[in-house]
Amino acid sequence: MASEIQVSEPPSKRKFKSGKMKNNKKRPGNFPGTGEKKVKIDMRMKKLFRKRARDYNSDDEEGEEEEEEQQQQQHGIDAESNEPKEELDEFSEDEGEEEGDAEENGDSDDEGDAVQPGITKFSEGCRAFKMAFTKIMSKNVDPKDVLGPVLSGHKKLIAEKLAEEDSERKVKGEVKKEKHQVGEKGHVKPANFLDSHEKILIGVATKGVVKLFNAVNKAQNAQKGLNPSRFKDAKALGKRRKEAFYSELRKKRSQAADGPMKGTTSTGREGDDGPAWAPLRDSYMLTNSKLKDWDKMPEKTVGGDDLGERMVEDSSSDED
Amino acid sequence: MARMRSKKRKVFVKSTVKTPSVDHVTGDKIPKSIVFSRGKLPGPLKQLQKDLRKLMLPHTALNLKEKKRNSLKDFLNIAGPMGVTHFLMLSKTDAAPYLKVARTPQGPTLTYKIREYSLAVDVARSQLHPRCPPDLFKNSPLIVLSGFGTGEQHLKLTTIMFQNIFPAIDINTVKLSLCQRIVLLNYNKETKLIDFRHYSIRLQPVGVSRRIKKLVQSHNVPDLRSLQDVSDFVTKAGYGSESEADDEAATVTLSSDIGRVNRASNKSAVRLQEIGPRMTLELMKIEEGMCSGGIIFSEYGNGDGAKKEANHEEEEMDEED
Repeated sequence: MASEIQVSEPPSKRKFKSGKMKNNKKRPGNFPGTGEKKVKIDMRMKKLFRKRARDYNSDDEEGEEEEEEQQQQQHGIDAESNEPKEELDEFSEDEGEEEGDAEENGDSDDEGDAVQPGITKFSEGCRAFKMAFTKIMSKNVDPKDVLGPVLSGHKKLIAEKLAEEDSERKVKGEVKKEKHQVGEKGHVKPANFLDSHEKILIGVATKGVVKLFNAVNKAQNAQKGLNPSRFKDAKALGKRRKEAFYSELRKKRSQAADGPMKGTTSTGREGDDGPAWAPLRDSYMLTNSKLKDWDKMPEKTVGGDDLGERMVEDSSSDED
Repeated sequence: MARMRSKKRKVFVKSTVKTPSVDHVTGDKIPKSIVFSRGKLPGPLKQLQKDLRKLMLPHTALNLKEKKRNSLKDFLNIAGPMGVTHFLMLSKTDAAPYLKVARTPQGPTLTYKIREYSLAVDVARSQLHPRCPPDLFKNSPLIVLSGFGTGEQHLKLTTIMFQNIFPAIDINTVKLSLCQRIVLLNYNKETKLIDFRHYSIRLQPVGVSRRIKKLVQSHNVPDLRSLQDVSDFVTKAGYGSESEADDEAATVTLSSDIGRVNRASNKSAVRLQEIGPRMTLELMKIEEGMCSGGIIFSEYGNGDGAKKEANHEEEEMDEED
């Protein structure tokens, strides 16, 4: 396993390690089992490294690889010295070093280890990649070129793909916009100022409110000072209410006839000759279907409902 | 699980307590309504639905959760036990959004096309000082119907429908401090459109300078730096920014005090401020039943006569079969 770890380390160290390897290789006589095992693993690793190296050097032809295998099994030195030149002829600077490495490897190969060549290739491949990358990066890119520096050879294909994506996005955006417009149909943002139409509407509403408030004022002023719990007053109150109500009704009708205004109307059952507070009336709760739980009703009114409570208080104060 | 269940039950009881079905003073049945949608609505219409629910407060289901599979029948089924008397249904077609107002359980159903609408948010955004006091939505609004007195049958029906959507006011017992909102429906004869507006009512004392009004309303100490004497604060008239001209028409004398500013002895001016939503409606048709039945009125073509008869004939045919 030690030999595999060395792989990524610089060549200067490798030499030292290879010396160690020699020691290892000498031992197999003592431990035959381990030696065999090592060789086996090495074969596997060799294949793996080779594969990686192939991936790096994408320019390689497949046929070459087969040749390599055969060659390496027979003569490690020849194969290694030739191969780098074929694969990396672009990077002429590397060649010298590689040859040197190959020689070193050759030395170790002599002692019966076939692993090293693949390993060297891998490490050199790294350097090659670096060189290629720096070369690409140093290139001056044409500003008119849409794609910029692209590594792939299929420049046309990529350009097409990009254009397609762009058009797709455009179509999607349009569809979304259309949907949004359909959703917003009829939605109008009001202006910051009050136009004449709005002013008229506010005027109409104000008139209605004023009319109602005045009517309420009249009705409630009339019953001030009278005590509904006394029989006489109650009778007078009822009469007054009736009159006030009918006069109010008549007034509204006449006004509605000459103007478009039709104020808030109340059903005003108060004008009938029943007592003011609903529970005192004969017909109270008879119209309600929930007569069953009549005993629960008072509880409910005492609890949370402030409106009802207020109303009840109001009417009781009227009676006092 | 048990805990969860008990909690839920508690909430349910609370909701039933809060909504009495009969007015305690007048003994009238309180109309209740629910606002829901038929079909899927786009975003702004969903907001309009929320606004409408808020407008219909307090006798409505503010947080009604609908499901896709809920049919009209489901709503009708809950309407009975919950005492719901009116449905407001929003729907949307490619042409326009529609609002249906129906009385449960028998109908009739009025279908309005919403020509234009603005949300409460839009209205508030258009105003310099949008107003929303905390208890604005605690009581039901007043309703003012204007221009419907032309004597036509379908307009009468519209009037009745919208009058009954909100609880009736009893002049003798109503407290004016509880009247805080108003819904206006204005019918335009020429265009046959109904303007639907929602205002808040504010009362202000007449003949009191702005500064004093402000001093009474908010307890803040006024800025007296620029004045020579305290009396200047009272005597110096502030700039009359508010339209004082049309005050005469909008003044009321109150029967009782409202708040700290409006005394019964003084005159008060009625001021309205829009709170939205705003809609322009066009009556399309009126159906006899709940979203079904004979057509009483139709905007397109004289649906009153021919279609109704045809429908009746069909029904008769069905009965015979």
